[in-house]
Amino acid sequence: MACLHDHSCEDHDCSSNWSLYKHIDLSKVSALNEAVRGSVKSVFKAWEQRLDSSGEHLESNEGDPELLVYIPFTSDVKIKSISIIGDADGTSPSKMRVFTNRDGIDFSDAHSMQAVQEWDLVENLQGVLEYQTRYAKFQSVSSITLHFPDNFGGDTSRIHYIGFKGEATQLKRDVVATIVYELRPNPSDHKTRAEQDRPFQMWNGE
Amino acid sequence: MVLEATMICIDNSEWMRNGDYSPCRFQAQADAVNLICGAKTQSNPENTVGILTMAGRGVRVLTTPTTDLGKILACMHDVEMGGEMNMAAGIQVAQLALKHRQNKNQQQRIIVFAGSPVKYDKRVLEVIGKTLKKNSVALDIVNFGEEDGRKPEKLEALLSAVNNNDSSHIVHIPPGPNALSDVLISTPVLNGEGGGSDLPAAAGGNDFDFGVDPNLDPELALALRVSMEEERARQEAAAKRAAEESARQEKVEEPSSNSQDATMVDSADDRASEASGNNTDPVQAITLSMQTPGHNDPSVHDVDMSEATHEEEELAIALQMSMKDESDMSKVLEDQSFVSSVLASLPGVDPNDPSVKDLLASLQGQSESEQKKKEDEPPNDEK
Repeated sequence: MACLHDHSCEDHDCSSNWSLYKHIDLSKVSALNEAVRGSVKSVFKAWEQRLDSSGEHLESNEGDPELLVYIPFTSDVKIKSISIIGDADGTSPSKMRVFTNRDGIDFSDAHSMQAVQEWDLVENLQGVLEYQTRYAKFQSVSSITLHFPDNFGGDTSRIHYIGFKGEATQLKRDVVATIVYELRPNPSDHKTRAEQDRPFQMWNGE
Repeated sequence: MVLEATMICIDNSEWMRNGDYSPCRFQAQADAVNLICGAKTQSNPENTVGILTMAGRGVRVLTTPTTDLGKILACMHDVEMGGEMNMAAGIQVAQLALKHRQNKNQQQRIIVFAGSPVKYDKRVLEVIGKTLKKNSVALDIVNFGEEDGRKPEKLEALLSAVNNNDSSHIVHIPPGPNALSDVLISTPVLNGEGGGSDLPAAAGGNDFDFGVDPNLDPELALALRVSMEEERARQEAAAKRAAEESARQEKVEEPSSNSQDATMVDSADDRASEASGNNTDPVQAITLSMQTPGHNDPSVHDVDMSEATHEEEELAIALQMSMKDESDMSKVLEDQSFVSSVLASLPGVDPNDPSVKDLLASLQGQSESEQKKKEDEPPNDEK
């Protein structure tokens, strides 16, 4: 389901479409089987810099092309399409499977679970290919996990850029973090409008 | 302060009955486990630790990763020795236990105590190591106990397969006089990456002056610092008194009080402070201000209170004199009383020992009467 970027970019500004990288919670991004811990954060950048391969990139360990990337967002997003730029010499990933809204997935989980969607990738060194999603399944995504099980025959897998096209909803699908239970109600928390001006008074009941 | 979930794999095989670590290998291992659990939970309150045994009837998880130290210590009591250690299965079960940890933000770590021979070959261990590395699980190996020819080599191969950026370590502990846990204190197993220790390390190797982190225990650090300064001040005062003794011996004839002062010099008290409490001498004031009041040696207290008053002025004069002239080290050494007092304060040296006395005599060429006077002094306790 790849679609070719068949117009020149001078007419409109493509980069605004690929701006979901701003909504990624970079501090919590993690990857499994990466050679250099933390290098996964370097693949999320602006559209204009997608071909800039001089900096860091994501590389898997020697002799093992599998990669698993966990990406949480700061708010719920709708993802329309995904773009991946790999590297030459067979190091580009050949397949991509994604899981949404689940954290703590590791390789055994990824192999046994049914992916939300799967794609066969092609070598996309110029970054002109994007892979469309089944939009209905990607309506409120708070985190996405990308699993790249294989590559085109290289010893390692290399990824220079991962881009998401879509829109952010400004909503947060949040887990209730702290709950405080009271054993007895605290009157000062429950002032009625009349009492707000006057302090709580005991009624002598006469 | 890294947030971590740890699984400790204990070896409870028959080899653990051996007594080459006191009292037996198993007990030494249990102490080490307690130490590690304490250190992990102390460095970050959200750290969790779990325990499993590798031998016996099979790999058995005693506790899943928990913050409750009491639960961990309790389950260590019921462990029985027997069977053979199954390291590969142990590590894999540990990995599974870590995978199902409650807080997914925690880093995963496995600590393996390898006390008996490893029956798996290198290739199997390397594959296991690679799986651990792929799932970003760190591994610490404590190699102790049975010294098999190929065991270190296998364990090193496992470590190099797992190691990612020096987050995994191996420690070899041969049997010796030190307890297993004491040796572990200074290793990266307890210190984590970078060697920063949050424990007040008893075996040294810490960055703080007195072995106590001022952040962890400010009162203890303060107390240690104060007592160190007190001791220094006392020794300065003692040296000053000895200098003034030699000055006074030539000028003022009070042999009895001199010998009494000599005894005083050895004992740990601040008689100088009470004798010259009213002294406005600035140097004395500084040293005395560091000494806490009420810190007295009662035995000497009784003896010298009678002479306290009339010695005050003499002290003042003598101190000023001693301060004025450059301290002549040879003169100080010639002073029999000073040298014997210094010797008495050394542990293991008895000034009444005849060989020590002969040495003194040869050094100073003192008269016999002086030596007899020293013998009459109460033998000073070695401090």
